Amino acid sequence: MKFGHVFKQTLKNEGFPPDWVESAISYSQLKKCINRLTSELSEVGLNPQTLARLIKQVEERNAKEAQENTKHADSPLEYLLNHEDGPEKGGVQKPFQPKLLFHVNEKTGELDSAMLDEETKKKLHMLALESGLTDLRVLEEPDDSKSIESGASSHTVIGHECRRRPGYKTVEVQLTSDSEFFTKLSSELSGLETLQDREEKRMHDKIEELGKQVAKLTDPDRRSNKKLIAVWRQIFQIYVENDIFFGTRETDHGGHDAGMAAQRFQKFANTIAQQGLVDKFKKPECLQALTSFMNINREILQGLKFGEINRTAMTKILKKFDKQTNLNVARSTFPLTITYPSFSSHLAKAVCSELNTSILSHVPQIDDYSCPMCMEIKWRPVKLSCGHVFCIRCLIVMQTNKQHLCPLCRQRSVVDANSDNLDLELADFLKKWFPDEVKAKQKHNELMAGVDQYGEVYKDQCVVM
Amino acid sequence: MTTPKRIIKETERLVAEKVPGISAVPHDDNVRYFDVKIDGPSQSPYEGGVFNLELFLPDDYPMTPPKIRFLTKIYHPNIDRLGRICLDVLKSNWSPALQIRTILLSIQALLGAPNPDDPLANDVAQKWKEDEKAAIETARQWTQQHAKA
Repeated sequence: MKFGHVFKQTLKNEGFPPDWVESAISYSQLKKCINRLTSELSEVGLNPQTLARLIKQVEERNAKEAQENTKHADSPLEYLLNHEDGPEKGGVQKPFQPKLLFHVNEKTGELDSAMLDEETKKKLHMLALESGLTDLRVLEEPDDSKSIESGASSHTVIGHECRRRPGYKTVEVQLTSDSEFFTKLSSELSGLETLQDREEKRMHDKIEELGKQVAKLTDPDRRSNKKLIAVWRQIFQIYVENDIFFGTRETDHGGHDAGMAAQRFQKFANTIAQQGLVDKFKKPECLQALTSFMNINREILQGLKFGEINRTAMTKILKKFDKQTNLNVARSTFPLTITYPSFSSHLAKAVCSELNTSILSHVPQIDDYSCPMCMEIKWRPVKLSCGHVFCIRCLIVMQTNKQHLCPLCRQRSVVDANSDNLDLELADFLKKWFPDEVKAKQKHNELMAGVDQYGEVYKDQCVVM
Repeated sequence: MTTPKRIIKETERLVAEKVPGISAVPHDDNVRYFDVKIDGPSQSPYEGGVFNLELFLPDDYPMTPPKIRFLTKIYHPNIDRLGRICLDVLKSNWSPALQIRTILLSIQALLGAPNPDDPLANDVAQKWKEDEKAAIETARQWTQQHAKA
């Protein structure tokens, strides 16, 4: 199937909002532009084959110059996009004025290149002669040699002299459809950028709103929330573990493409459904919050997809442009002006970090509060003089074993830890957010303290009791 | 005896977040005993080889380091004929915050950077110092001979 068709179908079927579809790259119109441009070019005798040959010669010449490290005076042909452009090449606002320039010997009308074969020469010769009759124009060059004699030998003048020598005319081919093509494409790209900004803002508001809601629903000070915190925590944990939009692992890092993200999102949705987590929400507020959480994720996915398909459309249309005209935009002259706004990855990144800060952070995860030694909850938390926090049980074992160095930084901080090192603030926090885990760990600690005092038998007796 | 949370968590993570070029699988009947495979690092004489090791977590792990030994024959100045490894983090510089995965990464790094100045296999270390090129060639041959899967 042709890409133009696929593109159209995707835009139609993926359920993108109408304003998105409107801002999408108008692939078929751009394609028509290219067709017009090719016919324009062949009207003046420049069919793709001729152009390809010409450009190849210019390239070979340039390569040779680069090799020999000398700057030759002139190439027979130049293809200029944006030719008045100063240093700020990124400016999209400036209208493109693409044109082809040929340097032609004034007297003979011959193209300034000994390397052209006869046929091409003839064609261009004809082109030069026809100028004025078709949409070709012949420009009289200012006599540069004069200005040099008058002493104004600045760099620019030398540059001019190099490029435009007296005795040569420059034949300029105006490419109307070409400028139409690029103006259209670049205005569409900036339209997409605006759309992206707008979407980001909208998502931002949405996430903030949901964040507030989740904060309320998981406030540990409210009795009615007590059971629900664990459910939310589980959901968010599964969410984080699925690495939906970004990989965070050694073998898989960086952004995911839309397909991968969609797959992972589906897996996340399946997992929470399988574990019956959704059914545990009885209150309509909870269900509503969860729904809007899912919807935000779906929207990020849509954004990713939309960005991807548009980017593909852009690459394809530029490739097509080259194939039909042989002007080689994508390869040489081009990358300066048109770059695709990093729509998808940028939006997804921004929104994901928002999601983390404003929603997920409302429900602390146990992994962030586990002791680096036993990997159970840091209960009771002891903060060493070096600043690292461990559970009291592991530190007691270390002290008994005469292991004095902090496991994380090797400072001698374990040896002089005592009850002053208890982190009371963290203890309150843990008790509030992880009451069940704290209870279990407390029991375990007491049991192990008994074993320390009375030996292994204590454990068995305790279990019986 | 119940399996400590620490061992369960580490094992889970080893499966869920694989370390490139390293695998560690616990035995069905003993969760403290692991079969380990380490790929020889690229651009080392061990490149292309897969080395088998055994890893055992003692009762007081993580207060004491895991016991690790190469099962595959390997020509390396810091690994002796019995497969014992001379690596500071396995002995004096062990820390209870280190894990199976970090230790295995250290061993993989040791394969990439042999240290003949702190030898365990004296004969190998001496060869390594006298004629490094020849020693590396031997290591490569041993890899071809013994560490091919």
